[in-house]
Amino acid sequence: MKEINFTVTDPLGIHARPAGILVKEAKKFTSKITVIKGDKSCDMRKLLALMGLAVKQNDSIVVQVEGADEDACAAAIEAFLKENF
Amino acid sequence: MALDYRKCAQEIADNIGGGANVVSAAHCATRLRLVIADNGKVNKEALENVDGVKGMFESNGQLQLIIGTGTVNKVYDEFLSITGASAASKEDVKAAAAAKQPWYIRLLKPIGDVFVPILPAIVASGLMMGLVEALAKIPGLGFGETDWFAFLDMAANTAFAYLPVIVAVSAARVFGGNIFLGAVIGLMMIHSALTNGWNAANGYDVWYLFGHIKITDSYTLGQINQLGYQGHVIPVMLAVLFMSKIEGWLHKHVPEMIDLFVTPLTTVLVTALVTFTIIGPIFSGLETMVLAGAEKLVANPIGSCLMGALYPATVVMGLHHMYNVIEAGMLASKGLNTWMPIASAANFAQFGACLAVGLKCKNQKTKAVAIPSSLSAALGITEPAIFGVNMRFFKPFAAGMAGGAVGALVAAFMGIGASAYGVTGIPGYLTINNALLYTIVLAISGGLAFVITNVIWHEEEPKKAAPAPAPAVAAPTNAVIKCSAGEVIAPAVGTVIPREEIPDATFASGVLGDGVGINPTEGVIFAPYDGTISSVAESKHAIGITGPGDMELLIHVGVDTVAMNGDGFAPTVAEGDQVKKGQVIMTFDRAKIAKANHPDCVVVLLTNSDDYDGVVCG
Repeated sequence: MKEINFTVTDPLGIHARPAGILVKEAKKFTSKITVIKGDKSCDMRKLLALMGLAVKQNDSIVVQVEGADEDACAAAIEAFLKENF
Repeated sequence: MALDYRKCAQEIADNIGGGANVVSAAHCATRLRLVIADNGKVNKEALENVDGVKGMFESNGQLQLIIGTGTVNKVYDEFLSITGASAASKEDVKAAAAAKQPWYIRLLKPIGDVFVPILPAIVASGLMMGLVEALAKIPGLGFGETDWFAFLDMAANTAFAYLPVIVAVSAARVFGGNIFLGAVIGLMMIHSALTNGWNAANGYDVWYLFGHIKITDSYTLGQINQLGYQGHVIPVMLAVLFMSKIEGWLHKHVPEMIDLFVTPLTTVLVTALVTFTIIGPIFSGLETMVLAGAEKLVANPIGSCLMGALYPATVVMGLHHMYNVIEAGMLASKGLNTWMPIASAANFAQFGACLAVGLKCKNQKTKAVAIPSSLSAALGITEPAIFGVNMRFFKPFAAGMAGGAVGALVAAFMGIGASAYGVTGIPGYLTINNALLYTIVLAISGGLAFVITNVIWHEEEPKKAAPAPAPAVAAPTNAVIKCSAGEVIAPAVGTVIPREEIPDATFASGVLGDGVGINPTEGVIFAPYDGTISSVAESKHAIGITGPGDMELLIHVGVDTVAMNGDGFAPTVAEGDQVKKGQVIMTFDRAKIAKANHPDCVVVLLTNSDDYDGVVCG
């Protein structure tokens, strides 16, 4: 299992539209991707659940990736987060 | 269907935190009066919805539940058996509540407490007197000359002739004294060895206990006028209050062995002395002054008008029972009770206001209370209407005050009056001296209150309902997305555009799922299917909703509207709420979106459209 720690710098946080893009990215892989913020967590493939986390600027999240393609997936997600959020 | 008393009592007990939370319980003619230890455990909303509870309010540190005449005592009995509380005397209730009351309420309240239980006696006597006298007034019948009249007249006026006894017994109960000792005090004050109070003008004898030591020209120390207290109320109450205090003190301090004869003996002797030498003279004097003051107020039309307005407020304070004193005084001094039309105007106005509420309201529970309450008010018993309906909504109460003021003004100008007291409203016809003018007064006061209430009072929407969108819009019925899991009804009214034409590259590309855009014509969002709200964006502009077959729909209002930070968006649901198709879930301000230079296109996307077959949009 790979784990990514990330702090959101985008002033608007992970809101609807960019969240959708994140979900799209997650769907490219077969690994199970879990997003954790505080005591809440969700599957990164579920857009509504991801929005429900209400991740804002300066919030820290943890992304856990587990599965056959976890190395590639984690690398891609981490790069994507840094680029977009 | 008759009310299930036990069920009603059980539900009340359940909603006040159980018997352990009850400090004490008592009841009056219409209300169950409870003193609660921890008000935080009281579920007021649930209490109001208990079948049998017509209304609820807090007053004088008591939680008062309006249940109704003839019913409240039965519910009370069940309540006691359920909670295991012993029947608290009124004194316990008052003492427990006293800490929370302002001083003036503590001073006035006992008067109402004493009078409410004796109302049946007064109403029975009053109605009977009214009927008997009305019969005697029918010309040509000669009823007034018959033995029947003499007999019925005697039977009818008993409660009034011996009013001090009834008051004394009730007062002893309220103040925690022995009611039989109370009865002795009451009887003593109208003893047949004394000159009847109504005949004071014919002269009376005086006892001088300490010889002839003059304090003033008209008062000698230890002077006792041999005059009964017929028709008096306040001195009787005070005498019994004094008696109850002495009795209570003696019970605590006299050794138990001799308590049974020392305490009653001392109590009665001391009370008799104090009553006839101090309380009696002072308060019959004061009562005369109050009476004179009120009579002065109602002697001119402006004062009457004021009285008509203030009357219901005095009912709230439990003061109105004292007016019987004034009415009796009027009858004694002038033979005409001009107070009654004023009280009637005030009461009938509350009837009008309550009836207006009953006819106008949509809420069935409000209606079920308001209609019977208004009928009771028409018969002169206004407590259910005032406490159960008008005061709760306040505006009807104020409308009633206005109607009462005008009605009282008219009544005062016409100078009508009654030949008895104890009844107002429709039964007032039995005692009024001019039925036609009385009808006009009732029509004006009741009618005015009815009309004003109809104009100024509007039923409040239930709390949970959405703030009504203006103008009200019907929910659309056209499906915008169909797939194997079901269909998505358009969540907004407007022109449906293909996803590709949504003015945002990301949405248009379909990466967030397939769907449509709607260029809205109204600022209202409806639930597109029966489902659960799975997210409401912090910035309020987007709602996620899960529906049949796990469809996850994103409703995103406008493009880039996240930047508005919630201003202009008012979701009416929260995460986790269950919603029904067509229910309003958000209102938004199209003008504000336009001002912020964002398209207001409502984006409707099935975010997991990949999971379904045969997705058709548009």
